[in-house]
Amino acid sequence: MVISVKNLTKRYGDLVALDHFNLEVGEGEILGLLGPNGSGKTTAINCILSLLKYEKGSIDIYGKPMAPEAYDLKRKIGIIMQNVAVFEELTVYENIDYFCGLYISDKNKRRSLVIEAMDFVGLNDYGKFYPKKLSGGLLRRLNIACGIAHKPDLIILDEPTVAVDPQSRNNILEGIQRLNREGATVIYTSHYMEEVEQICTRIAIMDKGKIIATGNKEELKAMINSGEKITVEIYNPENRILTDVKNLPHIVSAFFHDSFLTVKSERDKNNLMVLIDYLKTRQIAFGKIYSEPPTLNDVFLEITGKELRD
Amino acid sequence: MQVYKVYFKIIKSNIIQLMIYVFVFLFLAVILSSTYSDPIKTDFTSAKVNIAFINEDEDSILLNNLKDYLESHVNFIALPHNEKSLQDALFFRQIEYIVRIPKGFTKSFLKSEKVSVNITKVPESTSGIYMDTLINKYLNTARIYIESENDMTEKELIENMNTDLSESAEIVMLNSAVENDTYEKCAYYYNYLSYSLFAILILGVSAVMMVFHNKDLKKRNNCSPLKLKCMNFQMILGNFSFTMVTWILMIASSFILYGSFMFTSKGLLFIMNSFVFTLPALSISYLIGNLIKSKNAMSAVSNVVSLGTCFISGVFVPQAHLGDTVLKLASFTPTYWYVKTNNAIADSIILNTDTLMPLFYNMLIMVGFAVAVLVVTLVIIKQKRGLA
Repeated sequence: MVISVKNLTKRYGDLVALDHFNLEVGEGEILGLLGPNGSGKTTAINCILSLLKYEKGSIDIYGKPMAPEAYDLKRKIGIIMQNVAVFEELTVYENIDYFCGLYISDKNKRRSLVIEAMDFVGLNDYGKFYPKKLSGGLLRRLNIACGIAHKPDLIILDEPTVAVDPQSRNNILEGIQRLNREGATVIYTSHYMEEVEQICTRIAIMDKGKIIATGNKEELKAMINSGEKITVEIYNPENRILTDVKNLPHIVSAFFHDSFLTVKSERDKNNLMVLIDYLKTRQIAFGKIYSEPPTLNDVFLEITGKELRD
Repeated sequence: MQVYKVYFKIIKSNIIQLMIYVFVFLFLAVILSSTYSDPIKTDFTSAKVNIAFINEDEDSILLNNLKDYLESHVNFIALPHNEKSLQDALFFRQIEYIVRIPKGFTKSFLKSEKVSVNITKVPESTSGIYMDTLINKYLNTARIYIESENDMTEKELIENMNTDLSESAEIVMLNSAVENDTYEKCAYYYNYLSYSLFAILILGVSAVMMVFHNKDLKKRNNCSPLKLKCMNFQMILGNFSFTMVTWILMIASSFILYGSFMFTSKGLLFIMNSFVFTLPALSISYLIGNLIKSKNAMSAVSNVVSLGTCFISGVFVPQAHLGDTVLKLASFTPTYWYVKTNNAIADSIILNTDTLMPLFYNMLIMVGFAVAVLVVTLVIIKQKRGLA
C-alpha cells in the first residue's frame, strides 16, 4: 500500500474539515479524489503531506508514518499544488533546477532530469523565459515540471488544471497518464468529473470531509438507480406531456428545464425509442434530442442530493 | 546549496533598487563629509583684540614700550577720547577693551608707588581676560625689576623687560588640524554609512525573505526533503554574504576618499566598528524580512527603521545636541552605540587600553543586540514553520 489514511479528523474551529476520513492508495494507481469545492480535498492532501496538524487518525506512506521530519518519505513524493509555486526571479530552467535540486544533489544527474522534465511538459523552447512571460497554461506546465523533475514514486496533484486552456489541459492529463505508465502512483484531486473519469483508475468521491463512495467509474455508476438520461427540446412544453412521459415504462424521473425535457431511465433500460414513438404518435413538435449514459455528477447527485458543481 | 544560489538570484533581480541606495549614499557622503566642519574644534591661532589706548600721562619710555609690546597682540583703534564715543564703540564691539593711563602714572610706577591703569572692557569676555593678562604681565615684570634693582635706568629696565617678554612657549598640538579634520570627516562618513547600510540590508534581506515566505513557495519547500536547519543555515549564509559584499563596497569607498588615513589605527577602528555594526543591522533586517509581507511595507519599514534610528542616534544631528530622553531611547538601538563609538574614535588623542576598552565595550553591546535579535528571529521562523 502506498498510502493508508485511517480515521483522519481535522477541524478548523467548529468546522469539521475532515470527518473520519479513510483512504487507501495502491501502487500504480491513479486515484481521483473528486468532490465539490470545500469538500475537504485540499485539506486531506495537506494533512497527507504533513503541512497541517490533525486532531485524530493516522497517515502511513509506504508503510511508514508520515511526519514533518519524515524526509526520506518526502524524497519519494512529487507535489503539484493548486496554486502555481515558482520563483518569479528564476527562469523556467532555473526553477525546475531549484526544485529538482531539493531532492537530487548530483549536478549532472540533475541537468539531465531538468531537461527531461522540460521535454515532458513541452517547455523546451521556454528554458530561458521568466514565469511572468508565460501564459497561464505554460505556467501550469512549469508547475508540474517542478513537481515531477526528480522522478518521484508518488505524485500528488491538487487541482492542477484550474483555469487552464483546453490544449494545456489535454497536455497535462496525457502527461499524468504517461507518468503513471512509467511507474508512478498518482493522487489527482479535482472537481472536474470529466477529467477524473478520463484518467483515473479508481475514484474516491468526497463530501463534507468524508469519502462517500469509491471504485472505478463503472462501479460508481452501478451504485445508482438511474441509467440513461434523455434530453429533448420541446417547442410547446405542457404539463400533460410530463404526466404522460412519467407513465412510460422504466422511467425514474422527468422534468422540464425551460423548453428542455429531461427524462431519466432505470439502470440498464433504454427509453430513447419509446420516447420518440410517444412524441411522434402525439404529434408533439420537438427539436434537438440527446441521450447520455449516467455521469459521476449523477452519482454524486443521487448520493448527496446536490450537484458536484453546486 | 539551492537556497543560497536562489538568494543571490533574487538579490540580482532587485539590484537596481539597491544600487540606487549605494550611489545616493556615496554621493551624499562625499558631498556632506567634504563640506563638514566642526565649529568648535580648531587648531591654535593667536587672535588680535581691538582696543583703545588712551594715554593721559607723558610719553614715557615705559608707556611707549607697553604700547609696542601690546601692538603684537592687539589692534589699536583710534577713537575720540570722549566718554560717549568710547562707550558706544565698546557697546557695538568696535573695540573690546579700553586702556586709560592716568596722569602721573609713569613717575609713581617707577617710584614703586601703588598705581593702577584704568580698564573698561566687555564683561566676562575672553578678550578682556586676555588683555588683563597681557597688561599685568608687562607691569608685573617691570615692577619686579624696579623693586629688585634700585639704580636701574628706565632704558635698562626696558631692555631687560623686552628680553624677558620676548620669551615664548612653543605650542605643539598632538593632532594636527589636517588630521583632526580628516578624522572628523571620516567619522561623519562612517556615521552616515549606518543609514545606507541599514536601508540596503533591510531592502535586500526583506526582498529575499518575502519571496521565500510566499505562501505557495513556502508550502512547496516544506513538502521537500529540505531540512529546516539546512534552510536556515543557507539563508543566514546568504544574508551574511550579502552583508559582507555591501559592507566591503562601502568600506572600499572610504579608502578612496580618505586614503592612507584608513590605514592608521583610528581608520582601522572605524572599519572594525562598522563591521560590528553590520551584525545587529543584519539581524534586525532578518527579523523585519520575516515579519513583513508586502513590497510597499518593505520600502516603508526600511525607511522608517533606518532613518528613525539614525535621527535619534545622532547620525544627522550630533549626539551632543540631542536631549537625554532621546538618547536614552536611542540607546535601545545599535545605531546609537555605533555612532557613539565612531565619535569616541574621532575624539580620542591617544589609543591605549583605557581609551580602547570603552570602544570595545560599545562594540560588545552591538554584538549583544545581534545575538538577541537573531535568537528572536529564529524562534519566529520555527513558530511560523510549525503546522497550522
